[in-house]
Amino acid sequence: MSNDTATLSQTGDTRKAARIKRETVSTIAIAIICVVLLYLSRFISPALGSWSQVETVLILGSFLVVVAFGQGLVILTGGLDLSIPALITLGGVLSTTAVGAGNPDAWYLLPAALLACGFVGFLSAVGVVWLRVPPFIMTMATSIIVASAALGITKGTPRGYAPDAAVALMKSHILGLPSPIVFVIGFVILGWLLQERSPLGRYLYAIGTNAEASRIAGVPVTAMQIFPYVVSAMCAGFAGFMLVGYSSGATLRMGDDYLLPSIAAVVIGGSSILGGQGSFLGTVGGAFLLTILGTIISAIGLEFGLRTIIEGTIILIALLLLREELFNRIRSIRRKA
Amino acid sequence: MTDLTQTATSSEVQAPQGRLAGQTFARLLQGGLIIVILYFALYALYFYQQPRALSAGSIAALMNNTVPLALAAAGQTFVIISRGFDLSVAGVISVCNVVMAVYPLDGPGGAVMSILMCVAIGGSVGAVNGFLVAYLRLQSIAATLATMIICQGVALVILNAPGGRVADWLSYELTDRLFKTIPISGLFVLAVVLAWLYLRRTSFGISLYAIGADEHAASLSGINVRKVRFFTFVSAGVLYGLAGFMLSAQTATGNPTSGTPLLLLSFAAVALGGTSLAGGKGSLFASVMGAATLMLLQKVLFSSGVSSFYTGVFQGCVLVIAVVFSGLIEKLGERAAKL
Repeated sequence: MSNDTATLSQTGDTRKAARIKRETVSTIAIAIICVVLLYLSRFISPALGSWSQVETVLILGSFLVVVAFGQGLVILTGGLDLSIPALITLGGVLSTTAVGAGNPDAWYLLPAALLACGFVGFLSAVGVVWLRVPPFIMTMATSIIVASAALGITKGTPRGYAPDAAVALMKSHILGLPSPIVFVIGFVILGWLLQERSPLGRYLYAIGTNAEASRIAGVPVTAMQIFPYVVSAMCAGFAGFMLVGYSSGATLRMGDDYLLPSIAAVVIGGSSILGGQGSFLGTVGGAFLLTILGTIISAIGLEFGLRTIIEGTIILIALLLLREELFNRIRSIRRKA
Repeated sequence: MTDLTQTATSSEVQAPQGRLAGQTFARLLQGGLIIVILYFALYALYFYQQPRALSAGSIAALMNNTVPLALAAAGQTFVIISRGFDLSVAGVISVCNVVMAVYPLDGPGGAVMSILMCVAIGGSVGAVNGFLVAYLRLQSIAATLATMIICQGVALVILNAPGGRVADWLSYELTDRLFKTIPISGLFVLAVVLAWLYLRRTSFGISLYAIGADEHAASLSGINVRKVRFFTFVSAGVLYGLAGFMLSAQTATGNPTSGTPLLLLSFAAVALGGTSLAGGKGSLFASVMGAATLMLLQKVLFSSGVSSFYTGVFQGCVLVIAVVFSGLIEKLGERAAKL
């Protein structure tokens, strides 16, 4: 009897050890790959591999980190958010037209714009949770609705300028560091605390693993299923605000380049596309890895098409490497050895 | 064994009349009766707005607009019945379109070559999807998302901006009318629907429904689930290839992102046709009618004076309503079958 308990707890321990390894190992591996890539890029072009490239990567990656956080939460609960590009555009268009440089006193409209984005996310969540529309179809629908509404309202050309607050966020320096870098560090810490160190985050993991079991265990499942869509929409809206500050204006297609990378960053970061697994730090690593690859590829002068092919291939490889079966097989080999 | 069969047959024979009627009703719902009614109601509205709507010319024009989406939705139906989603439809159509615009082959021989090329492109992308999903056990959304991105990249490499020119013979003949009445493009869809009606009764067709309804049970009853799933994606890919071929004939030009708008619409068409997104149920014909309804809706909106900027708002709403509606129909059908 005591023997049995011993074996049981032992297997329990190895499993736990393997699980911890999986997430931290993939995060550390991505961090190492990022550093090595940055260093090696020196040999591709002399402009790369310097501190200024690191700064560029951190700034360019900050948009992706913000949207990937929201995408990661949605994926964690077993969904998928395809409305990110439309909401980036919405956030951008709202902040240039409602506030802009001509109306800097109306700063209070910026949180209102974010709330508007959050409301769109809430509508997606309503469709997913109550109307039982599959997440990717629901978010695809909200995406096309929001995009076409933005097109109709702006009559095809968004007007206005970047609000002062957005320019200040993206273009000033704090303690000698560019402000977006300081911001992204703060964002990563907050996101990490929320996703991995708060009860709320634990709930999301629980739902992603088994919604029914978590309901029985007393998790407020409905609220926790709505939450990620709202956060994701607000993150996308905020990324739109940041992009406006960075490029001094909004366009109707400003979000298009962020949908696939947002999913790719989460998947490369070691999250399961089925939900319930993953870490925000991994996603951050994935976002910066993609950004580094992007800077290298544009330095080599690869055309956009090849770049897209590489991106798709990376997602595919990440998916194949992350298959549960593969992990189990490696684990069983190790156990035999 | 014989006992079991006998009980099974006798219970079928003794089924009360009401139950049979209920089942027939459920089957009609599933077979797309509602969507056919909806289509003709919408057409009546269109005719009311535009009295020219019943001329052979405008029917053919509408048909030509519909065909690419109808074929894409037909392919999507295969995958959805087997309980999967296929996003690669957008990529395959774009690749076929740019290939036809960059390498135009004129004349009837060229048309045959082009169609074979498109089918080969679609079939091979489908085979990759099938391999990833059936044999490597990736989730279908994730795997086809990756292949879609790669295909879009390939399309951009072949043609990095809209341009090129599809062979004249194709763009004239395939948008023309046979004997001045029957739109030629419609014949392609008719052929696909007829092929489906045959395929549905073969062991592949039955297995397709079986693995969509319950993969485990299907596998226990001796269906080679992997093989069926693999060929599901291949057939879907072939249909996307055809859709790309027909789209190129309509637009007569190449665009590396031409397939993207069809992604959402193909799901909308399938859902509108009453096919359950949970798999195991549905009909290809209903999806084709769903596609026709969506395109007709665009015409109706346009002739009602709604700005084309807002088309997306309607399409998005129709998609959501269609999915919710098909869920309701399914419940209704189940209840009717139980009566």
